[in-house]
Amino acid sequence: MRAVKTALLAGLALLVIALVLTLLGSPMSVARMNRAPGQSEELVTSTNQSANYCQAHEVLPRGTSAIRIWIDAAAGPRVRVVVSSDGRPIISGERGSGWVGGSVTVPVKPLPRAVSGATVCVSFRLKDETIIVQGEHAPATTAARSGQEALSGRIWIEYLRPGTRSWASLAPEVARHMGFGRAAAGTWIVFLALALLAAVVVLASNLVLRELP
Amino acid sequence: MSRRSGTRAPAAAAKTRTKKDANAPTRNGDEARRVGTRGFNRRAKAMKPKQPVQRTRTPGRGLSDFAALLPELDYGRALRRIPRAAWMCALVACLNAVCWSIVAPPFQAPDEPDHFAYVKQLADTGSLPTASQETVPEEFAALQALHVYQVRQRPQTHTISSQQDQENLERVLASTNRASGSHGAGVATSQPPLYYALEAIPYDFANSGSVLDRLQLMRLLSTLFAGLTAMFVFLFVREALPAAPWAWTVGGLAVALAPLLGFMSGAVNPDSLLAAVSAMTFYCFARSFRRGLSTGGAVAIGALTAVGLLTKLNFIGLIPGVLLGLIVLAIREARTSGRSAYRLLGLAVGVAFSPVILYAGINALSGHPTFGIVSTAIQTTHGSVLAQTNYIWQLFLPHLPGTVNDFPGLFTTRQLWFNGYVGLYGWLDTPFPGWVYTVALIPAAAIALLCGRSLFQGRAVLRDRVAELAVYAIIGLGLLVLLGADSFRTFPSTNAEYAQVRYLLPLFALFGAVLALAARGAGRRWGPVAGVLIVVLFLAHDLFSQLQVIARYYG
Repeated sequence: MRAVKTALLAGLALLVIALVLTLLGSPMSVARMNRAPGQSEELVTSTNQSANYCQAHEVLPRGTSAIRIWIDAAAGPRVRVVVSSDGRPIISGERGSGWVGGSVTVPVKPLPRAVSGATVCVSFRLKDETIIVQGEHAPATTAARSGQEALSGRIWIEYLRPGTRSWASLAPEVARHMGFGRAAAGTWIVFLALALLAAVVVLASNLVLRELP
Repeated sequence: MSRRSGTRAPAAAAKTRTKKDANAPTRNGDEARRVGTRGFNRRAKAMKPKQPVQRTRTPGRGLSDFAALLPELDYGRALRRIPRAAWMCALVACLNAVCWSIVAPPFQAPDEPDHFAYVKQLADTGSLPTASQETVPEEFAALQALHVYQVRQRPQTHTISSQQDQENLERVLASTNRASGSHGAGVATSQPPLYYALEAIPYDFANSGSVLDRLQLMRLLSTLFAGLTAMFVFLFVREALPAAPWAWTVGGLAVALAPLLGFMSGAVNPDSLLAAVSAMTFYCFARSFRRGLSTGGAVAIGALTAVGLLTKLNFIGLIPGVLLGLIVLAIREARTSGRSAYRLLGLAVGVAFSPVILYAGINALSGHPTFGIVSTAIQTTHGSVLAQTNYIWQLFLPHLPGTVNDFPGLFTTRQLWFNGYVGLYGWLDTPFPGWVYTVALIPAAAIALLCGRSLFQGRAVLRDRVAELAVYAIIGLGLLVLLGADSFRTFPSTNAEYAQVRYLLPLFALFGAVLALAARGAGRRWGPVAGVLIVVLFLAHDLFSQLQVIARYYG
């Protein structure tokens, strides 16, 4: 019984520490994107073959540590992103296969300085799976390219870096945000969720102490 | 003479262990080896001192017998016999799912708008949806005001976040014409109606409220199914692994805290009821394998199968295992009760398939495909059996040398199923950071090793229960094959369409048993400690999953 109590306390203590560390961290935020807010995406191209798309005239902000590409897949393949400036690769990153949804975020080594006029290349190997590349229509001179061939537009790309504020400092805003779009709107719903979570922790701990020898 | 001595040996042994479980792994194995499995099982049943089994074993009179049985059931007593720990697991699962229903924004769970539309159609018109378009005007207006289409599958976009958006939403909710159903419920259209009929109750209860009022009440009903799932996982583990009572709590509580169960049961989705019905089915099988097939057991398995088939088509995947289980149980029962035991089999199958027969009859008479969408799905299957088998294999396991690789560059076991379980919420658009999936391999491997150790230690008992284990395996395998075959229908235009771990919720009873075995695998001394750590692990997983959803939608 004593060992059980000790294990439970140690486990809960570790949980609290992990929670505090998480709240002290900063969420990733979009530092720059190559589209206007609120714009609807258009089909740039779709493929079920391996491909390598390159897009010039990109501006990367300082501190970029992840690049989000607007490509859609049901079970996405491994994606590699290489950013070049003046013909030389400056950063690159890879995201393993298995991602889903309308965009893929590829982590990269943080960029020490802002770079303009960069070329971002996205490549993946495919067999059968269909990838939809999204963005907006653009003239051939500025459009993304597949080899020598211009696509029908520019791919939407977002550059992410850690925000300046911690999750803890953002908590009031997040709580206010959670209160919107509800059956009974209001920040009170956050406190209800917290109370429920606390009840879950207390009941589970109590049950463990009662039932485990 | 030899038979006599064979009879005495286990009986004498039983006297010395009245306080221990008759199925305790090591003893069981030794005795089974001495006296033979069949003889041992008979005696093991007869010498259970702690749990007197009340059986109404009067096979042979079919439905009239069932009718006579119903008034005799003391439901209050049956409920009181459920251990308090099982109720607590249910309560924890319910509260956790309620929390998830708050954390997940309205309509930001898989296919929730379609399931809502189905209920609306059923409740408002009394008829089933007949078309797959999504055009319920009232719901559509709410979805637009909530920015659901802009947020769905775009993790960079948050839900509405300003007072102006909120006021606009309230204006839309207040002004939208509450036209009745539109005959369209998207992907939900082809599903059977039981879950939606149940959801029509809270829908009607909040009829004077807005779409969001009705949705929240409907979500709350789903949370009750999480409670039922956790309770019956506990009871299944109790029947299947009776030797260590403390481990029942580990299995039940860990499942109660599983974020996947909370997330799916905190939303309007028939997967929540399917999980509960499946857990009940597993429990009935475990009970019948341990105590023998009674009339009540046969009727319960049949009724649960009927309920499962009326809940979601995915239950079809469980049918081969359910049938096998009933056949095995009937054969075993026939050894003691004679051929009349097979009437129990007939009774269970009759109860199970009566809705299907009714449905097929109506379809046949009205000129529709006999089994509805199932008939259509079978007709649209393409490719050779070999290609289909290869695809189904690779959807779950690495491809074999010499076979065509349908998932190049994708380790499906890990990337689709393991990562999917670790965390993929919302419209499959809310993952954890990549490193979390790598770190998660450590506790998963530890649980697998401990479970393996426990199975190895109890291998003698496993041999005795091979038929029971085969039934559970076939139930699970049937579901996997169904998911694979259904995904293959849309392959190669879409790959792994149904590779979503929520479809494995019906197997959560087995998951609970694996976790209980893992805790027991740490040995008598450290087992409870391992159990505590497993529970805390699931608690942490649940907590951080909810935080991830909060960060994605409101951050």
